[in-house]
Amino acid sequence: MIQTLAFYIFASLVIASAVMVIMSRNPVHSVLWLIVAFFNAAGLMVLVGAEFIAMLLVIVYVGAVAVLFLFVVMMLDIDFAELRAGFVKNFPLGLAIALVLLAEMVMGLGAYKAGGMQLGTPDGTAAAAVGASNIKAIGALLYSKYLFLFESAGIILLVAMIGAIVLTHRQRGDTRGQVISRQVARRPEEATVNTQPEVGKGVQL
Amino acid sequence: MEFQASLALVAPELVLSLSGLALLLAAAWGGDKASRLISILAVAALVGAGFLAAPALCNGASGPDTLAFGGQVKVDAFAAFAKLLIYLAAAASLIVAPAFFERVKAMRAEYPVLVLFAAMGMGIMVSAADLVTLYIGLELNSLAAYVLAAFLRTDERSAEAGLKYFVLGALASGFLLYGMSLTYGFAGTTSFAGIHAALAGDMSKGALFGLVFVLSGLAFKISAAPFHMWTPDVYEGAPTPVTTFFASAPKVAAMALTMRVVVDAFGAQVQAWQQIVMIVALVSIVVGALGAIGQDNIKRLMAYSSINNVGFILIGLAAATQQGASAMLVYLAIYVAMTIGGFVAILMLKDANGEPVEQIAQIAGLSSHRKVLAVCLAMIMFSLAGIPPLFGFWGKFLVFQAAVQAGMVPLAAIGIAASVIGAFYYLKVVKVMYFDEPANVAVGKSDWAHQALLAICAIFISPLGYLLTGWLGGMADKAAAALYFVG
Amino acid sequence: MHPILLIVFLPLLAAIIGGLGNRGLGNTVVKSLTTGALFASCGLSWMTFIPFLAGTAEASVVPVLTWVHSGTLTFDWALRVDALTAIMLVVITTVSALVHLYSWGYMAEDPDQPRFFAYLSLFTFAMLMLVTANNLVQMFFGWEGVGLASYLLIGFWFKKPSANAAAIKAFVVNRVGDLGFMLGIFGTYLVFQTTSIPEILAAAPGMSGASMTFLGMHLQTMDVLCILLFIGAMGKSAQLGLHTWLPDAMEGPTPVSALIHAATMVTAGVFMVCRLSPMFEAAPVALAMVTFVGAATCFFAATIGTTQWDIKRVIAYSTCSQLGYMFFAAGVGAYGAAMFHLFTHAFFKALLFLGAGSVIHAMHHEQDMRYYGGLRKHIPLTFWAMMAGTLAITGVGIADVFGFAGFYSKDAILEVAWARGTELSHFAFWMGTIAALLTSFYSWRLVFLTFFGKPRWDQSEHIQHAVHDDHGHAAHGHDDHAHHDAHGDGTAGYHPHESPVSMLIPLGVLSIGAIFAGLVFAPPFLQSEEFWGGAIYYNEALLHAMHGVPVWVKLAATVVMLIGVTTAWFAYIKDTSIPGKFVAQFRMLHAFLYNKWYFDELYNFLFVKPAFWLGRQLWMRGDVGLIDRFGPNGAAWVVARGTLAAKRVQSGYLYSYALVMLVGLVAAITWVML
Repeated sequence: MIQTLAFYIFASLVIASAVMVIMSRNPVHSVLWLIVAFFNAAGLMVLVGAEFIAMLLVIVYVGAVAVLFLFVVMMLDIDFAELRAGFVKNFPLGLAIALVLLAEMVMGLGAYKAGGMQLGTPDGTAAAAVGASNIKAIGALLYSKYLFLFESAGIILLVAMIGAIVLTHRQRGDTRGQVISRQVARRPEEATVNTQPEVGKGVQL
Repeated sequence: MEFQASLALVAPELVLSLSGLALLLAAAWGGDKASRLISILAVAALVGAGFLAAPALCNGASGPDTLAFGGQVKVDAFAAFAKLLIYLAAAASLIVAPAFFERVKAMRAEYPVLVLFAAMGMGIMVSAADLVTLYIGLELNSLAAYVLAAFLRTDERSAEAGLKYFVLGALASGFLLYGMSLTYGFAGTTSFAGIHAALAGDMSKGALFGLVFVLSGLAFKISAAPFHMWTPDVYEGAPTPVTTFFASAPKVAAMALTMRVVVDAFGAQVQAWQQIVMIVALVSIVVGALGAIGQDNIKRLMAYSSINNVGFILIGLAAATQQGASAMLVYLAIYVAMTIGGFVAILMLKDANGEPVEQIAQIAGLSSHRKVLAVCLAMIMFSLAGIPPLFGFWGKFLVFQAAVQAGMVPLAAIGIAASVIGAFYYLKVVKVMYFDEPANVAVGKSDWAHQALLAICAIFISPLGYLLTGWLGGMADKAAAALYFVG
Repeated sequence: MHPILLIVFLPLLAAIIGGLGNRGLGNTVVKSLTTGALFASCGLSWMTFIPFLAGTAEASVVPVLTWVHSGTLTFDWALRVDALTAIMLVVITTVSALVHLYSWGYMAEDPDQPRFFAYLSLFTFAMLMLVTANNLVQMFFGWEGVGLASYLLIGFWFKKPSANAAAIKAFVVNRVGDLGFMLGIFGTYLVFQTTSIPEILAAAPGMSGASMTFLGMHLQTMDVLCILLFIGAMGKSAQLGLHTWLPDAMEGPTPVSALIHAATMVTAGVFMVCRLSPMFEAAPVALAMVTFVGAATCFFAATIGTTQWDIKRVIAYSTCSQLGYMFFAAGVGAYGAAMFHLFTHAFFKALLFLGAGSVIHAMHHEQDMRYYGGLRKHIPLTFWAMMAGTLAITGVGIADVFGFAGFYSKDAILEVAWARGTELSHFAFWMGTIAALLTSFYSWRLVFLTFFGKPRWDQSEHIQHAVHDDHGHAAHGHDDHAHHDAHGDGTAGYHPHESPVSMLIPLGVLSIGAIFAGLVFAPPFLQSEEFWGGAIYYNEALLHAMHGVPVWVKLAATVVMLIGVTTAWFAYIKDTSIPGKFVAQFRMLHAFLYNKWYFDELYNFLFVKPAFWLGRQLWMRGDVGLIDRFGPNGAAWVVARGTLAAKRVQSGYLYSYALVMLVGLVAAITWVML
């Protein structure tokens, strides 16, 4: 009973905050609403017993991604009024599409409610051993059954990294890099010089 | 033992990923000066991967022996056929790149590495037998592609292309994931074979939703209308070697993946997707043809041409027969040759300073000063239009034949009628090259690698290509048989 | 190799080589090649014909190639050689060879000689194909082939609008006949289940009286078929109703008129009726129609011939009239007589045309007889050739002693028409007799106007041009009239000269034919069943009856011929004012005849104008208004609009792209939901 209640609260909050993400006038508020949505999604995960994923959601999405978003949004000078103009222009059509989609979803769901629709049953191949912790179960699957895909996903991240570097890294001629060997090899006499400046005159370096 | 067998099956992907990593290191040490060498090594890696993939095709491999990693990956003749095409296209886009980028001093060692990873992703796509595999492969390819599109980061158009591709690609990925979630929810499994078994009989509305979402996501990748909107902008903005790549390899991969999904996973619900594919095919043909007519940039024109051609290829899919699949594969092979040839010819259009020439008006009277180039470009245009005796006709003929034999005469008739509209803009390019007052803009010299590649493509699509029909058809038949293998 | 293969295919070979080689080979090569081929063909034809005369040859069929085997429809390329074919072979190749030779001189100054000779040879091939056909389809091939060659040759001077118009007219009018012929062939196949001529002819007598139902009407099968076939013959042979193209066809070069529009192609209709004579014998109504149309044409064309001024048109109407003789001869059952007249007519009519050509050549392309006169002394050889032709066509001769070619054939036709004894055949006899009088009148009128009297050349623009070219530079600035009047003898200072040898040789050869063909060939053609050997329907009783006709019938032709020549002499030599008075007295009649019975005007009103109207309606309303508007132009409009729309959607804004994707997705979902 409490679970059901919690589910409905979390679910409705996810949807509501998602709506607020796109409805907010201030983009900072949007990001904040996004964080709310993530939190509630994490709550849903907890409800289905995937506490590891719930934690990941909070730590990675809320802690890293969303905060990064927040910084970017605050630092960038974006003319939001202009963005909103496009939004307003296409709003009626977008709304109509959303409503049609919603109606169709409801129809599909209605069929489910009426018993005319069967959800699939998990085939069990990915089921964790009874009693094993979340982390253990996921780890076991990732490094056995899903090894190939897991490694491939690693390559995806590598590609993302390469991409970020390729697109943003600039060889800037006016920066001075640290050359440790030179630093280490440096002698005091090269670095210091004794002068005896006269009164009223500066030092010529 | 099972694990080793699986590793042996994905040997091409291993080769590509390992060489990609090694080359990345080499790039880190050697810097951009080594980019030419790295390109050559990358081509060698692709060739090696191709040799590892080829036996499966020659043997017509199919059935349980081709499944790796517990049925997540399926390395059969069909996958091998697509992989070979993908590797060829990727190699071509590596070969043409240095000459292009070096002019603007933008040739960087990451380019071949990204192409290698993209090729690997596409290899995973075409051998997917599981929704998760599908998504991983697709994202690996897409992510590399987004970066490649924006590779000329100082060029506004290139950056814009990268951004547009990324945002819309993310939207498409959203469709795909949503569809996959629905499918998983209603089938209870992510494996294609499992979905096929779970959805046999009456298909529920939810699974149908899932199917439509998945197909929409894939349609974005093959740039089928109405999910084609990114294509012209990205093709125009991306550096031409990258466009060459986009127009050839990912098309093959996504098309093969689509075939795999509808046959392996949704093969029991032919009537559910057949009509969607038909409509998408016709809309693509018409939109591609109509859109191309108004273009004055030849890269945009080729973008619409690719949309148009995708429509024709989808007619083979709409036939939903093994013959249709075979016809699609033949068409894809010919299409890859035509596209690479076309873009290489575009790469060779340079003005006196070596700046690329992209406006159609600027190639007016090309036949007067670049005779061979004009002849090749004209051949490619005629071939894209499907005019016999050029080889492009053969692909169109096969898909229409498949459609007719599947009893879809109206579809074939409409397709043939629409190809007449398509002929207009192809012929317009030929007309501009041959009959207009020479503009004498595209007078720059060409790289030998470009010339060689163009010559190969031109010979392939020339009537000489018909000598290959038996061989190519045989290979495609083997691949299609593997796709439709019922074990 | 059977000689018939050479006879038929040598001209084709020459035409192909000459036509494709054209100017690359040069005038002389092409001319020699085609002419040589034709003379070889001609020699072989005579060698084929003489055994038939001697009664030693058998009819045979030489297969060439398989053509069509489709279900029950089967026919091959095969060449049939029998007496009928042999006659036609001789006529065609002889006249054609002579015309080729004649054209060396006549066309000497034309820039397109290779084309001309290639066309001539092509025509000859098609005509040979027609007469050697062993099935109706092959005959139709030849039939259309000669039509094509005729079109090309009439329009040979394609820069002349009148030549083009005449060529089109000939083609179109022939289409009307060809439609009948085609329907006839279809019907024949339908009824007999074969297109093979021997099989049809063998089966034809058994079909006599058979009837068929078409659109609820009961029709006599054989009559329907034969009438349809005869409509084809009417078109090709310019019979009353479908004759209008023949006079206009005179726009072509004169050798063409001699070959195609006098000796060969126009006789194809007669040949066809004779070839299919057993079929026609089973169709009494069709035969009556043949007789009537033939007799009417014979009279009608002759009346027009008396009033025309153009020398070639007079001969053209004369041809039309003579073809009428042949048809009514066939119609009354005397196929032998019809073929005999065809044979003799080929010689003397070709002679008359070539003679006229020689006159025209001498008179610097002037064709109007009003501007001739007194040419006898200037071009004597041409004059004597024309005399031979005129004597032959008017049928001068004394029974059982000697007669020119036409004497035998025309008399035979008139006698047989009387001997047949039906009302229709008597009508044909009277028509033929009146036509004989008119023939005599207009033929001698032509000779008198051209060769006798005083020169009247100074009125002719052509002559003035010729003279002007000679004296032009000196006479510049003078009043032209004063200049010409200075001569005062009507010659305008022009000196006609005799034609070159290449033109005179054909005239000589044909003159011999015109003089002796009747005497030599009358016995086999008219009295020898062995000669025909079953090639045509042979009516023994009718030929017997022919010998028993009253004496006045036998003399009628000769008498009216004398009346005709006397009238012409009075009118055009004795008192040249008579024609003027006559015209003034019977203005209406003259206008009626001079305007060719107003046939062209009638057709113009009945067919041409409505056809143009219909055509314009279909063009403006149907084609432009409907098909173009909703077809190509409409499609182009839709495409252009579609392109605009596609451009507008491709705005470059991300959100509109995303929107389109979403719309597509929702549309797809809606589609599968419904």
